[in-house]
Amino acid sequence: MNREPTTLLQGTLDLLILKSLVAGEMHGLGISRRIQQITGGTFDVKPGSLFPALHRMEEEGWISSFWGDSENNRRAKYYRLTKTGTKQLEVETKRWTRISWAMARALEAS
Amino acid sequence: MSLLVKARSFLRNLLLARRAESDFDQEVHSHLQMLTEENIRAGMSPEEAHRSAHIELGGIEQVKEQVREERLGNGLHSLLSDCRFALRQLRKNPVFTAVAILTLALGIGATTAIFSVVYGVLLRPLPYPDSGRIMAIFEINTAGTPSRVADPNFDDFRDQNRSFQAIAKYGGDVASVSGPSAPTRTTVASVSPDFFKVFAVQPILGREFSVNEAKKGAGPTVLVSYGYWKEYLGSPQDLSQSHLKINDAVFSVIGVLPAGFRFPAEVDLWLPADLEGENTSRTSHNYSAVGRLRDGVTVGQANQDISDIARRIHDTSTEQGDYLLKGGLVIPLRESITGKARSALLVLLGAVGFLLLVACANVANLLLAQATVRERELAIRNALGASRRRLIRQFLTEAFLLSLLGGGLGLLGAFWGVAGLVALAPENLPRLDSVSISLPILAFAFLLTTVVAAGLGAFIAARATSTDLSKGLGEGGRGQAGSQTGRRVGRVIVVAQIAITLVLVVGAGLLGRSMMKVLEVNPGFRIDKIVTMDVSLPSVDDQKAKAGQAMFFANLIERLKQIPGVRRVGASSGLPMDGGLPDGMFLLMTQNEMPKNLDGFGVLLQQKERIGNADFCVATDGYFQALEIPLIRGRIFDQRDSADSPHVAVISESLARDRWPHQDPIGHTIEFGNMDGDLRLLTIVGIVGDTHEYGLDVPPRPTVYVNLFQRPRPAMTLTMLSDTDTQLVTSAARGILQDLNPETPARFRTLAQVYLSSLGSRRFNVILIGFFGITALLLATAGVFGVMAYSVSRRTREIGVRIALGADPGTVLKMILGQGLRTVFIGVVIGIIGSLLLTRTVKSLLFDVAPTDPLTFGLVTLLLVGVALLACYLPARRATRVDPVIALRYE
Repeated sequence: MNREPTTLLQGTLDLLILKSLVAGEMHGLGISRRIQQITGGTFDVKPGSLFPALHRMEEEGWISSFWGDSENNRRAKYYRLTKTGTKQLEVETKRWTRISWAMARALEAS
Repeated sequence: MSLLVKARSFLRNLLLARRAESDFDQEVHSHLQMLTEENIRAGMSPEEAHRSAHIELGGIEQVKEQVREERLGNGLHSLLSDCRFALRQLRKNPVFTAVAILTLALGIGATTAIFSVVYGVLLRPLPYPDSGRIMAIFEINTAGTPSRVADPNFDDFRDQNRSFQAIAKYGGDVASVSGPSAPTRTTVASVSPDFFKVFAVQPILGREFSVNEAKKGAGPTVLVSYGYWKEYLGSPQDLSQSHLKINDAVFSVIGVLPAGFRFPAEVDLWLPADLEGENTSRTSHNYSAVGRLRDGVTVGQANQDISDIARRIHDTSTEQGDYLLKGGLVIPLRESITGKARSALLVLLGAVGFLLLVACANVANLLLAQATVRERELAIRNALGASRRRLIRQFLTEAFLLSLLGGGLGLLGAFWGVAGLVALAPENLPRLDSVSISLPILAFAFLLTTVVAAGLGAFIAARATSTDLSKGLGEGGRGQAGSQTGRRVGRVIVVAQIAITLVLVVGAGLLGRSMMKVLEVNPGFRIDKIVTMDVSLPSVDDQKAKAGQAMFFANLIERLKQIPGVRRVGASSGLPMDGGLPDGMFLLMTQNEMPKNLDGFGVLLQQKERIGNADFCVATDGYFQALEIPLIRGRIFDQRDSADSPHVAVISESLARDRWPHQDPIGHTIEFGNMDGDLRLLTIVGIVGDTHEYGLDVPPRPTVYVNLFQRPRPAMTLTMLSDTDTQLVTSAARGILQDLNPETPARFRTLAQVYLSSLGSRRFNVILIGFFGITALLLATAGVFGVMAYSVSRRTREIGVRIALGADPGTVLKMILGQGLRTVFIGVVIGIIGSLLLTRTVKSLLFDVAPTDPLTFGLVTLLLVGVALLACYLPARRATRVDPVIALRYE
C-alpha cells in the first residue's frame, strides 16, 4: 500500500484540505479521495490524520460543518470553506508557492 | 473573529463534550460505511469490503483519541478526567494511599515545622523599618572574640565613623520599679540619645530624650513600652502626671513607644545612659552598640571603618593590656542576635531534609510497586489509543494528587508541630516569639509539596513508561521480565534510604552520647532542693548606705533560716549556669602595698607577672554550705570577717592550680578593686571546689569569692537548701521580704530549673535529631521490608520452580536474605562514608565525643543492620513456605 509520508507538514495537509474544498462542500471520505485525485495519488490521507486536522481547522474557523445526505442517501458530515478559510487558502498558497519555488531553485543549483 | 470562533469551540468542547463525542462517533461510523460501500462497488465481497474499510480507517478508538487531543480545551478536560481517574485509583488502594499520604505528610510536615523555626529565628527580617541596615557594633578583644564596647571607645566610634547615619549604645538591667503599682522587677534599658533613630521608631505619644536629658545630672526621664503604658500606667493620653520610681529615683515618663517595639528583648523602660556620667576606662566594656548604615554604605565598608578607628585607639591608648580592644566588628544586628543558634538550627534543617528524602524514597518505592502492578492496565490503555505523553501525564497527576494531600495534611500537622517546637525550644533561643506559620511558611510548604510531587511524578512516569508497554499484555500480566529493572530501581532506592538513615542515626547517636557525657560532668555543686530568690536593692554610692544593705541581707538571711524545713541559707551575686559572672584582671600583691586609686591599679596592671584573671563573685558562707561546694583547704568566711577586719577571699581550685602552681595560695594577697571600686587588699583564706558556671559543657572558670559583709552589693541571689515543698518556702520567703522591705520585688526559681534550662539547647537538639533518626529508621525498615516482600511475591513462581527442583528451605532463605543483605550492606557502607563526611558539621554541638566516634558508628551500624535483617527475614521466611504446586499453577 502507498504509505502516506508521516513527515507531511501540518501546513501542507491543511493546504490540501482547503484546496480540495474549493470545488464545493464535501464529506471526510470525499475530501480524502479528492486529495488523492488532485495530487495524482501521491497523497493518501488516512482518517487518523484527516479527522484531527478537520476538527482543528473547524475550531480555527477555516471550515464549517453540517450534516447532509450523501450521494447514496446516507447521512454524512459535510465540510465547506468559510470566508476566513478562503483567505487562509490564499495566504497558504502564496507561502507554499514561495517555498516550493525556493526549494526547486535550491535543488537545481546543486 | 477567529478568536471568537475559538472561544465558541472551546466552550462547546467543554460544555457539550458528550454531544461533540456522539457527533464524531456518527461521523466515523458513516465514514466507515461509505468506505465499505466503495469497496463493494469496487467488486469486493461484503465481508472483505468491511474488513478492508476497517484496515483503512485504523483503530476507531485511536482515531477518536487523536481527534480528542486536537480539540481546544482538551488539556483542561483531560486534566479533570485524569484527576477523577487518579482519585479512583487512590480510592481503589486505600492502604497504599493512606500509607503514602501519611508518609509524605510526616516528611513535609516535619520539614515545614522546622523551616518555620529557622525562618522565624534566622531569616525573618527584624520588625523595624529597613531593618537590614541596622548593624551590631563590637570591639574585638585580644583573644580575637567580639566584646561589648567601653564608653570612650564608643564615643570615638560615634564621632569618627563615616558609615552610620545614627549610632547608639545600650545596656539592659533588671530594676525594681514602682509608682503606679507595687514594686515589680522590670527590665530596663539604658540607651544613648540616637538609639531610637537607629531603629527608626518614634514615640506614638510624647517625645524622645533631648540631647540635654541624656547628659550627666539631667532630670531623670523615661520612655515606656506600649504594653507597660497600657498595663501599668492605664494608658493616659497626658503623660505629665506619670512618674516612675526606678531603684529609688523618680523618673518622669515622657514618651510611649509603639506596640511591638521591645529592644533589647523584654524591655519595658528606656532611660538615658550616662545620667551618672561616663566611665572613662577604655577597658570597661559596659555597653552593646548598634548603628544604622548610611545609604549606599555596605556592611564591609562599615566594618573596615570601625576596625580602622579601633586600631587607632589601640595604638594610641595608655591602657595597654589584655582587656584593651585590638579591632572592631560590624555585622547585621539580626545575625548578632541569632549567631549562636544558627549552626544548630541549620543542622536541624539538614536533618529534617534527610528525613523528607527517606520519606519520599518510601513513597517512590510504593509507587514503583503500584506501577508494576499496573503494567497490564497501561498496556490496555496504550492499545486503546492513549499516547505515551498522556500516560505520563496520568502518573504526574496521581503523584501531584498524592503530594498535595500529603502536603495539606503535613501542613496541618506543622501547625501542631510548631506549637510543640516552641514549647520544647530552649529559653535562650532568640526570637522564638517570631516563630509561627506565616505566609512565607505556607509558600514554602506549597513549594516543597510541588517539588516532591514533581520529583515523584517524574520518577514514576519515567519508570512506568520506559518499558515496552505492549509487553504487559503479552506476558499475561505477570511482567516477570519487565520488572527486573523495576526491582533493581527499588533496591537502589533502599540503598539510598539506608545510607541517609545511617547518617541521621549516627548524628542522633553522637548528640545523644554528648548529652550523656555532659550529664556525667560533676557540676561542682548541689542541684536539688535549692530554692533561689533574686533580690535587687537600688544601687548606692556612700559607704554607710552600702553597709546598710549588707545589714539588710544579713537580716534577711537570718529570717529565712527560720522558715521551717530550710536548712541552710546563703547569698551570691550570681548563680552558676545562669549567664556567668563578671570577670576581670586581678593583681598579686604583697601586704601593705595597696594602690591609692584606680589609676595606680592601672599602672600595676603593666607588670605582667603580677596579673591574674578570674571571675568575681560576692558571696556569703551560707552560699557554699547551701550549694555544698566543697572546701578543699583553709576556711570559708565566718564571724571573724567583719567590714572592718582585713578583707578576705576564697578562691576556686582551678585558680589555685593555675595561678599558684606548686605553692599554697593561702595567705597570699590580691588586689581586685577594679570589680567593685574597693581597693582594699584581699587575703586568700580558703580554696573551694570548682563550679561549672557557664554550663556543664564549659570548663569551670577560675573564680575569686569575696565576702558580702565586707564587699556589699545591692543585687544578690539568695539560695535556700530546704527539705520542704518549694511553694511553701517561696511564699514564706516572699512574706519575709515584704516584711523587711516592701519596696523590693523578688524572683523565685529553683536551682534545678536553672540547671535544666542550661541544658535546654542540647536537649532540644537531641530530642529533635533523635526523633528524626528514629522516624527515618522506621521508614527505612518499612522500605526494606516492602521491597523484599514485593520481590518475594514477584518471584513466587521462580521460587516454586527452585523448590520443585529440590532446593530446601534453608537454601531459599539464604538466597533471599543474601540478596536483601547485599542491598543493606551497600547502603551501610555509603552511609558510613557519608557520615564521616557530614558529622563534621555537628562538631560544634558535640561534647567530649569525636565526630567520628567509633563506638557510635559501630552501634548505629549494628542497629541498622539488625533491623534491616529482621525486615528481610520475614519476607524470606515466607519465601521458604512457597508451595511449588500452587506457585506453578498460579497463572
